[in-house]
Amino acid sequence: MNESGLRVLVVDDERAIRRFLHTSLAANGYAVFEATNGAEALESVVRDRPDVMILDLGLPDMDGTEVTARLREWSRIPIIILSVRDQEDDKIAALDVGADDYLTKPFGVGELMARMRVVLRRIAHPETEPVFATRDLVVDLARRLVRVRDRDVQLTPTEYDLLRVLVIHAGKVLTHQQLLRKVWGLGYERESHLLRVNISNLRQKIERNSTRPEYIITEPGVGYRLRFEV
Amino acid sequence: MMYNSTMNSDDRPLRREQTELRNGRAAPRVHRWLPFVYGIGLVAVTTLLGLPLRSFIDPTNLVMLYLLAVVLAALWLGRYPAVLVSLVSVLAFDLVFVQPYHTFAVADAQFVLTFIALLSVGLLISTLTAQACEQANAARDQATHTRTLYELSRDLTMVLDPADVARTVMNHIDRVFRGEAVVLLANGRSLEPALDSPGYDLDIDERDAAAWAYRQGQLAGRCTEALSEIKGTYLPLSSTQGVVGVLGLQSVGQASPLTPEQWRLLGAFASLTAQALTRIDLTREARQAQLLRESEKLQAALLNSISHDLRTPLASITGALSSLRDDAAYLDETARMLLVNTAWEQADRLDDFVGNLLDMTRLEAGVRKIQPELCDVQDLVGVALERLGDRLEGRDIVLEVPDTLPPVPMDLPLMAQALVNMLDNALKYAPPGRPITVKAEAAGPELHLAVIDEGPGIPEEDTMRIFDKFYRVQRSAEVPGIGLGLPISKGIVEAHGGCIWAANQAGQGAAFTIVLPILEGTE
Repeated sequence: MNESGLRVLVVDDERAIRRFLHTSLAANGYAVFEATNGAEALESVVRDRPDVMILDLGLPDMDGTEVTARLREWSRIPIIILSVRDQEDDKIAALDVGADDYLTKPFGVGELMARMRVVLRRIAHPETEPVFATRDLVVDLARRLVRVRDRDVQLTPTEYDLLRVLVIHAGKVLTHQQLLRKVWGLGYERESHLLRVNISNLRQKIERNSTRPEYIITEPGVGYRLRFEV
Repeated sequence: MMYNSTMNSDDRPLRREQTELRNGRAAPRVHRWLPFVYGIGLVAVTTLLGLPLRSFIDPTNLVMLYLLAVVLAALWLGRYPAVLVSLVSVLAFDLVFVQPYHTFAVADAQFVLTFIALLSVGLLISTLTAQACEQANAARDQATHTRTLYELSRDLTMVLDPADVARTVMNHIDRVFRGEAVVLLANGRSLEPALDSPGYDLDIDERDAAAWAYRQGQLAGRCTEALSEIKGTYLPLSSTQGVVGVLGLQSVGQASPLTPEQWRLLGAFASLTAQALTRIDLTREARQAQLLRESEKLQAALLNSISHDLRTPLASITGALSSLRDDAAYLDETARMLLVNTAWEQADRLDDFVGNLLDMTRLEAGVRKIQPELCDVQDLVGVALERLGDRLEGRDIVLEVPDTLPPVPMDLPLMAQALVNMLDNALKYAPPGRPITVKAEAAGPELHLAVIDEGPGIPEEDTMRIFDKFYRVQRSAEVPGIGLGLPISKGIVEAHGGCIWAANQAGQGAAFTIVLPILEGTE
């Protein structure tokens, strides 16, 4: 598993976390840069040109949301937020200003690598493939066809739009607000029941068991994610 | 005691009016000379009544009419008007009924004896009758006084709050004295009203007087010896615990100065108020001491639990790591994996414990507010199972969660944690290989969500205590984790307005049930 030559910036004020990430990422073939606060992180993005950034939410000089917001003024670098449990509101804020994904501490390296591959895939393949497939789910975006376990599934236009947005961002968490805005449009950000009802219907149609979904995963308090492994 | 000095200064002008005290209330200001005018009128009426009889009744017998007038005057008008009536009667009798008429000259010397008799009997009767009247009035005032105090003290025993004490006292003062009152309590370095009283003018001078009364423990303000030029009168509220506050009065005794009786009544009011405030204080202190004892007990339990439940996984982790570091040369691949997996599992457990500890603290401190949103029950169960992840490996989970259930308002991350803790509990206690059932059903306005295991069940006496903090059924030392999961589930569910209970199944095993309210018409 070697990502050969990809550059990653680790931003965390805890030395132990930086050291552990440095070791693990280097072992996986990444070139690792480190920053201990927000200002250093912004400098390093300019100087070291990293391909991806791992950013702690709680930094001594500014919080991760602010770092993300400032970066997004001029950079599209993929950002993965590191947070602890019970920071749902902060996570949502960071995602809404443009962070790509988040991981809740403590986490395993395997999980981190999977998230990194998902966000980096967007850099490698900026255009979504016309046909998306994961496990038994096939979504043909060109022909608006959805097949599960080799059977065609009939979706309403809204359900299809919802699935399409999830597929385009496969593997990445989308907040309730992002989904409502992308599927229903501006002004629907507070209509969370629309989202809940359509997610529920979509699960009835594509999941084997809605209570233990394989594809559409709930990120409690944050949003939803289409499970996808690169 | 301390009211005496002030009372004496007001004593002399007041004593004359003592007979005016009715129902312990300041009597309206009556013209002092009016009873005397009535007395003279009474004598005039008596004389007019006697006039037609003068020619055929012996004058000495007509004296009886005047004696009747004296008795009536003593009864109705009081002592001094009655004395006046006696004197005027003698003069009127002489003038009208003793020959020669219409002159004070007396023809028959025997009438001098009649005059003396009429005067002395008149004076005696007026004194005796007036005394009887005064005693009756005093007794009535005393009874009123006692009843008033009884009513205040009865009302004060019911209240549990300084503001309610103030409200009660203000009501009583308004009823009894027809005036505005305020109860000021020491708050740090300043005196603040226990309750707003809009009619009371509490300006800086009034506050100064109140503060003086509080510091000195003496009366201040109007009608007292200190700072008497202001509107209000301030009585210190003294009890065994010292001065606890100040009672302020305005427009009390405005019409006429307060009588000594009324001062005594006010003093008693102040003393009852002070007692009530002290009682509330002492009750509160006792309750705090009780809470403190309980929280100390809880802290001891917490420390025990932390030393055990943090150190055990930590010991496994450091042990495994030290072995990997020091004995790397002797370890084969299998042994190494075993050590690594042990450390990983224990770290996972540690994270769980810290997470629960934080959840509990945040919920109890009110830092984490419940943010309910409508959620599907299937989603809730799914999130909980997802969070348990590897811990479910090899476990048969039976789901009875129909997709027809209505959505339920809940804080999903928290409620999922509540369910995780319940499932985790079932995983710990039920033997591996036996299924765990998650069953949800709507029962009227409630959702019932149960986690049912086929383990040994719960001892009957533990079904309630199992939700107490740090309580763990002492059945097996093998079962890891502390009794923190279920209490947190309980805290989360109760914060949602629901409840949680444990019961044994008819066959075998235990069922833990969450009940949540389903709000109708929220969509």
